[in-house]
Amino acid sequence: MSASTLEKPSAPAPARQKVMLVEGNEAAALGVALARPDMVAVYPITPQSSLVEHVAKLIADGKMDADIVDAEGEHSVLSVLQGGALAGARTYTATCGPGLAFMFEPYFRTSGMRLPIVMSIVTRDGITPQSVWGGHQDAMTVREVGWVQVYCETVQEVLDTTIMAFKIAEHHDVMLPVNVCLDGNYLSYGTSRVELPNQKDVDAFMGAKDVNWHVALDPLRPMAVDPLTGGSGGKGPSTFVRYRKGQCKGMQNSLRVIEEIHEEWAQRFGRRFAPLVEEYRLDGADYAIMTLGSMTGAAKDAIDEARDAGRKVGLIKIKTFSPFPVEALLKSLNKIQALGVVDRSVGFRWNCGPMYQETMGVLYRLGRHIPSMSFIGGLAGADITVGHFHRVIEATEKLLSNPAPIEPVWLNEKD
Amino acid sequence: MGMFGGAYNTIAFDANKCDGCGDCMTACATAKTGTVDQSRSRIQIVGSADEGFELALCRQCADPKCVTVCPAAALTKNYASGVIDWNADKCVDCLLCTVGCAYAGIALDAGTGHVAKCDTCDGAPACVPACPHDALTYVTTSRIYNEVGDWEDLFAPGLAGCQGCNTELLMRHTLRRVGPDTVLATPPGCVPGMGSVGFNGTTGTKIPVFHPLLTNTAAMLAGVKRQYKRVGRDVTALAIAGDGGASDVGFQSLSGAAERNEQILFMVVDNEGYMNTGMQRSSCTPYGAWTSTTPIGKGPGNIPSQGKTQDAKNLPLIMVNHRCEYVATASTAYMDDLYDKLDKAIQASKRGFAYLHVYSPCTTGWRFPTDQNMEVARKAVETNFVMLWEYNPTDGLHFTRPVDDPLPVTEYLKAMGRFRHLSPDQVSHIQSKVVENLAFVKQMAHREAI
Amino acid sequence: MEQTKYLVVGSSHAALEAVTAIRMHDPDGSLTLLTRDPHLPYSPTVLPYVVSGRSAPDAIFLRDEKFFARQKVQLKRGTALKALHAERNAAELADGSEIAYEKILLATGAAPAIPPIPGLDQVSYHVLRTLDDATKLNAAIKNSKQAVVLGAGLVGMHAAENLVKAGASVTIVEMAKQLTDGYFDAIAAGLIEKAFTDNGALILTGSRVVKLAPSATGATLTLENGTTLEADLLLVATGVKPNMEYLAGSRVEHDRGILVSDTMQTSVANVWSAGDCAQAKGFYTDAKIMNAILPDATEQGRIAGMAMAEDPGLKKYPGGVPLNTYHFFGRHAISVGSSKVPEGGEMVTRFDEASGRYLKAIFSADNRLTGIYGVNEFFDGGVMCQLILRRVDLAPVKERFLANPLAVGRELMSKLWR
Repeated sequence: MSASTLEKPSAPAPARQKVMLVEGNEAAALGVALARPDMVAVYPITPQSSLVEHVAKLIADGKMDADIVDAEGEHSVLSVLQGGALAGARTYTATCGPGLAFMFEPYFRTSGMRLPIVMSIVTRDGITPQSVWGGHQDAMTVREVGWVQVYCETVQEVLDTTIMAFKIAEHHDVMLPVNVCLDGNYLSYGTSRVELPNQKDVDAFMGAKDVNWHVALDPLRPMAVDPLTGGSGGKGPSTFVRYRKGQCKGMQNSLRVIEEIHEEWAQRFGRRFAPLVEEYRLDGADYAIMTLGSMTGAAKDAIDEARDAGRKVGLIKIKTFSPFPVEALLKSLNKIQALGVVDRSVGFRWNCGPMYQETMGVLYRLGRHIPSMSFIGGLAGADITVGHFHRVIEATEKLLSNPAPIEPVWLNEKD
Repeated sequence: MGMFGGAYNTIAFDANKCDGCGDCMTACATAKTGTVDQSRSRIQIVGSADEGFELALCRQCADPKCVTVCPAAALTKNYASGVIDWNADKCVDCLLCTVGCAYAGIALDAGTGHVAKCDTCDGAPACVPACPHDALTYVTTSRIYNEVGDWEDLFAPGLAGCQGCNTELLMRHTLRRVGPDTVLATPPGCVPGMGSVGFNGTTGTKIPVFHPLLTNTAAMLAGVKRQYKRVGRDVTALAIAGDGGASDVGFQSLSGAAERNEQILFMVVDNEGYMNTGMQRSSCTPYGAWTSTTPIGKGPGNIPSQGKTQDAKNLPLIMVNHRCEYVATASTAYMDDLYDKLDKAIQASKRGFAYLHVYSPCTTGWRFPTDQNMEVARKAVETNFVMLWEYNPTDGLHFTRPVDDPLPVTEYLKAMGRFRHLSPDQVSHIQSKVVENLAFVKQMAHREAI
Repeated sequence: MEQTKYLVVGSSHAALEAVTAIRMHDPDGSLTLLTRDPHLPYSPTVLPYVVSGRSAPDAIFLRDEKFFARQKVQLKRGTALKALHAERNAAELADGSEIAYEKILLATGAAPAIPPIPGLDQVSYHVLRTLDDATKLNAAIKNSKQAVVLGAGLVGMHAAENLVKAGASVTIVEMAKQLTDGYFDAIAAGLIEKAFTDNGALILTGSRVVKLAPSATGATLTLENGTTLEADLLLVATGVKPNMEYLAGSRVEHDRGILVSDTMQTSVANVWSAGDCAQAKGFYTDAKIMNAILPDATEQGRIAGMAMAEDPGLKKYPGGVPLNTYHFFGRHAISVGSSKVPEGGEMVTRFDEASGRYLKAIFSADNRLTGIYGVNEFFDGGVMCQLILRRVDLAPVKERFLANPLAVGRELMSKLWR
């Protein structure tokens, strides 16, 4: 084997990146424009609306060359994109909460058809109670549907991850739809400094588009898309298993691909984001708290303060929630003796946060028992402050010596 | 049209209408021999009132035995007209042709000493108008087959429709017409149910085909069409959907796509219910009809359940109110009309949304014999239960086959079992709705034409 | 070596029907049609009319070159099959060349059977089987004053009528006790004979020529009873024999003709036969018979073609039913089916001497029609043939049928077809 096949070609130095001050929704729209989709379908919903407004304006201003479909509802939004993808289009949309619920029928199907559609979920809590504010309940509710789901922490990460999402989705070893989750309110409207990658560099990063090589509605390559499959006889059972197993394989492959693409991004653009699991001050920690999404900023501040105060606490942040990064998380969990998991949504069945529930499965794989507990906060737009995280840290520290409580801690219960 | 490929106009005989009057024979003898000697007629009515009347007439066979046994090359199949031509100059009067024919379609004319046979009077048979009872008709729809018969059938042979279903006919004809540069959407229902999309890796269609959801046909197709338009490829986006997926749960995406004027040809095969899944009611099911979810029973509180209690949603009229590029209703009993509309719909779909609503009697779900599909479809039109019209924004709405002297709706209702239980009140409700619907559409036709 | 998927030998009705049947199922497989005749395909049946001048020799062709081009058939005219090498799927032609085939149809028809009469080879005589025979005979008739026709089959009778009409004094010599033996019964033959004698012909049935010798005008014939006849034109029409000499050395089984199955396959793989050279099963018994008639040739040719092309629509040959029509001096005779009365069956005849109308119908014990014959009696031969083949029960209509076979036959068939 020659050396050249082992080494990645070194990326050219990125062109100077434009610096802007934008909200998360606009950052997502700018990322979408840089990824050059052929087709965007939109239906407005709070807190996603300004995202699609930004996209519409970029197209109207000639800054983005995509066909925009103002569909009559989210169900059709995703359906239009499925048709577009099957005809070879790179496609994008965004939604949240009730819109995602309404979209569920085609949503389930997208991963089964292995269509690399990218969709932002500007996360919103579930109704009822009627609410228009942020929370992870919408994205968590559809975590078992075969989409890749990644959660962003910052506005810059929203921009960069939105671009990377297309490349992850369209990777031949993956071919799955990707949700880029950005927290409603905190990231959607949170304004921040971002560096905007140069279009030429993004084009080089993205490479050639190849969306429907595996399944197409194209008279030049006639095929039947999604004939009835399954049943108890003939080729049915084995065929159905082949499709489902393929989906699972794509999900598992995506863990590697997400890492590779984040690495390439760092090489090309100089910004490095933890692809699956981020450890923050975990070395030397006896215990850790676990976070997801934008809450992580306040959590890191709290960790810094706690460390300064002599507490041996670290932080584990999940970026890639689906597929759940079991191996990467095991490495982090191996370093600690107790864990507190903070969720921004509710797992009704287990009376805990959904991420906590997922993590319990990983803890079983650890081979030793470590005490853990669930915290639920930030529902329906509520803030999780540094003060809340200090409570989390204190409660988690107690697990080292005291029995773990069964009940979750509701962080905003007494706010 | 080459050997064996053509279809031709033909003289059809309905024995039930024949009373043996012999007027056809007189007309033929007059036209062909200048006499009124019925024995010299080339159409021969035989039999009796007791036994029923029967016919001896040249069938103008596609693979004619008389031609093959003629030693003198005096008989030839004319592939332009379909008629078997007899050449007097070549004939040697050997009569072998009469031995070849199993129908007595060519026989000795004692008046001339030569054989004689029907030549359809060059396409205007004298016998047909002479029949006072319409027992003879000259069927002229062969032009459709001749025009499209050689075009590729884009479905595999052996789709698994119910016996007597007209939907397979509709699908094959439509796809022939639309051609291979097409993406076909067939939402769950009878169309994919008969195997067009396929099962476990096999497919019944030769062009790209897919199962959309029952709910999102128009939206998915819009995405397909838009991408091809974006890359500059002329691809027809065609839906063949059932009434349930269009008028009920799929209505939102249909309406949305129509409002956006997506360049789609959307055909609804209206069998007035969810027939593929066991004949449940849809919003297109007519008042009074039995379905498996509007069954007949003695009812709660002794108020009998007598079928559907609401009138059908008139989906094509709703589509007119979207101001689509083209909207039409059609019936497989009127193929000429259907073909004209299909052509117009295809053209319109290159500009925007085209909607074609085809009434499709369901032998299984409507409970009538499998050989009666076309007859039921025809009765629907002849009673004005179904109206055939078309609309475009420029010319407005107009009837394409107005029925001047409609039959009473009972002629339609009694043709099938799903209306068997109707009370006189229900029948009069349906009849009054037919009158009201006709008046309504007439009003629209009048208004649009202004 | 030239190669072809289908090699059809012969160019008359059986061969042409086979070509059509093959092309119905296999539009593209290579197909070669080989005929020893130099002309385009024609029917031997039309030749009497060429002799009479009614048919122009260039207006009788059943197919033209365009047909063969359109059907992608390579037509080889004027080339006879000399030997069949079935063991290696090759046909050897008269010029010594060979064609390799995948499947071959032998539809080579028949040739005049020349009786072994002493002196026949010393005199000049006519036969009538090819177009060239017909044009020669047509020319000779015009100059004939005194003609003799040997054989009173349909070929001989047709020619005799032409000679009579041309003004010659004609004598017909027939070994059998009646004219048209095997085609029509004694009463019908009597009617035919009367028509001929009324027109001046001399009919010598039950007579045999024992010797021929050249004479100043042509030939002198000596009959068994010592009578002599002078002939300036002699036509030998004493029957035909199948053309199958090329089978010598092959293992294709043959008897009076080439023996074939009910799909026209011979005893040897890849070899089929149909038409006047084939010996296939009869309709009434399973015995294999020679039924050298035109409608049967087309039927056999079609079946052979379908079998060769492996057309799944192939149906087995129902067996040969004799069928003949004969037009003489403005009258016509027709025979359909067997003249034999089946055991327990019955024969019904109706004869009106004044009008010369004659009908004979034969029924089986269970009232199925097995044969029907008529002179100047109108009925549809094709319909009668179907009634026989379909074994239609005539019990309910028998009386009506006998009174009016034309109308009742049509009524029955119309009912069957609807």
